[in-house]
Amino acid sequence: MEYDKIFNELFDADGLRKGYYKLDGQGKYVLDTNPTLGEAVVNGLMLTELRTHLEESRKAVHAGLKSPLFYYMELRQFDLPTLAKSAGIASFRVKRHLRPEIFAKLKPSVLERYAKVLMVTQQELKTVPDI
Amino acid sequence: MITEYTATGKPFIHYHAAHCESGVTSALFRNKGVDISEPMAFGIGSGIFFAHLPFMKSLGHPVSTFRSQPGAIFRKTVKRLGGEFVIKSFRDPKKGMDELRQVLRTGQVVGLKTNLYWLPYISERFRFNFGSHNLIVLREIENGFRISDPTFEYPVDCSAEGLQKARFARGPMEGSGYMYYPKTVKLNPDLREACIKGMKDSCNMMIRIPLPFFGVRGIRFLAKRVIQSEGKLGIDEARRNLGAVVRWLEEVGTGGSGFRYMYAAFFQEAAELFGSEDLAELSHEMTVIGDTWRDFSVMSARIIKQRNKPEETFAKAGGLMLICAGREENFFKNLDQVARKLKA
Repeated sequence: MEYDKIFNELFDADGLRKGYYKLDGQGKYVLDTNPTLGEAVVNGLMLTELRTHLEESRKAVHAGLKSPLFYYMELRQFDLPTLAKSAGIASFRVKRHLRPEIFAKLKPSVLERYAKVLMVTQQELKTVPDI
Repeated sequence: MITEYTATGKPFIHYHAAHCESGVTSALFRNKGVDISEPMAFGIGSGIFFAHLPFMKSLGHPVSTFRSQPGAIFRKTVKRLGGEFVIKSFRDPKKGMDELRQVLRTGQVVGLKTNLYWLPYISERFRFNFGSHNLIVLREIENGFRISDPTFEYPVDCSAEGLQKARFARGPMEGSGYMYYPKTVKLNPDLREACIKGMKDSCNMMIRIPLPFFGVRGIRFLAKRVIQSEGKLGIDEARRNLGAVVRWLEEVGTGGSGFRYMYAAFFQEAAELFGSEDLAELSHEMTVIGDTWRDFSVMSARIIKQRNKPEETFAKAGGLMLICAGREENFFKNLDQVARKLKA
């Protein structure tokens, strides 16, 4: 798999350079900004994995297996305890809200709490993008 | 090196650094007139470490970290160099932001602990939920703040909402708006004594913790797990696990090879400071260890890329880690002897 390609595309686009220590010609350590092969590959691997997870969760929402809340939870890389803590809602309730039939009946006040921590609007929270 | 200005017009020099915490620590000291470089702050704060924690997960994989716990470098450097810092955390985000603005108006730069995911200026390849990223806020600008993030080459702008979200994000290692700035620092601190303390502490952490997860024992523990992972987890999961190890080694702001090159740079500076041949020798040794870790990461990258070459196996990758473990054990035993002889 060409994971380093994914990394290199983003690396060229964003212009954010990190520093890496390296020996110069005189044997002194200096900071260099070229990323290593190891970093490129594992970063690409992480991005591929996160994107696949997100795509899977989007499909699950469309198939009616999960509520849109699940998609946005994956999008923000939250796990269940973190989402519960951030929104101030007990984790067993959050778990129930991941079921579509229960999520559909939620009051706007509860939706607002989720919308705030996930940084999306209430309207967005009710649907997932179709690509 | 880029010169920026604080709210009262005092100059602040932005230095590029490899790691966020040692970079921020060194920048705060430099701003107050104590010139210590990033590797120096890293060495004095005993940043070098290894731990493999199978019971703690990040993105679904066990944590294997190559540095001491977040916050320790800053704490130890301040303790060893002498100085008084104001350290605060908040429950109420609004109060936290107001306090930040108030301190900035006095012309003081402030160090913050933030969640990497929510910082608006980073791109997708940095976005993962890590609650302990350090940066320095320079001054307030229209709709936001001017920020010197030492891990990046140039100072950046950040929106106020984004920064608030990043400071008060919940989750593991949450910051609760943790902020710190120097009240006074000791000018002309005793660098030699601080270096010796840092070295001795590092030796203790690397070879004297009697648990299998930490220090040199931890490296051996992880090496065995890597060797067995192919049979135990299946090839795909084993690859992903190996990828997680290499991420901790190369990607998360380590300056290459899991901080080993940065530590070698520290010994170069220390050798000049003490005028000691032994320390220069140790710096070379650390470079060799860094190179071995680099070999490991390149071999792992090839395994993950599935080149399917017979000479690249999990057993060989684990073997390279065992070599690293042996060399590091030797290194820290030597360092322990050398550090005893150094005179402050």
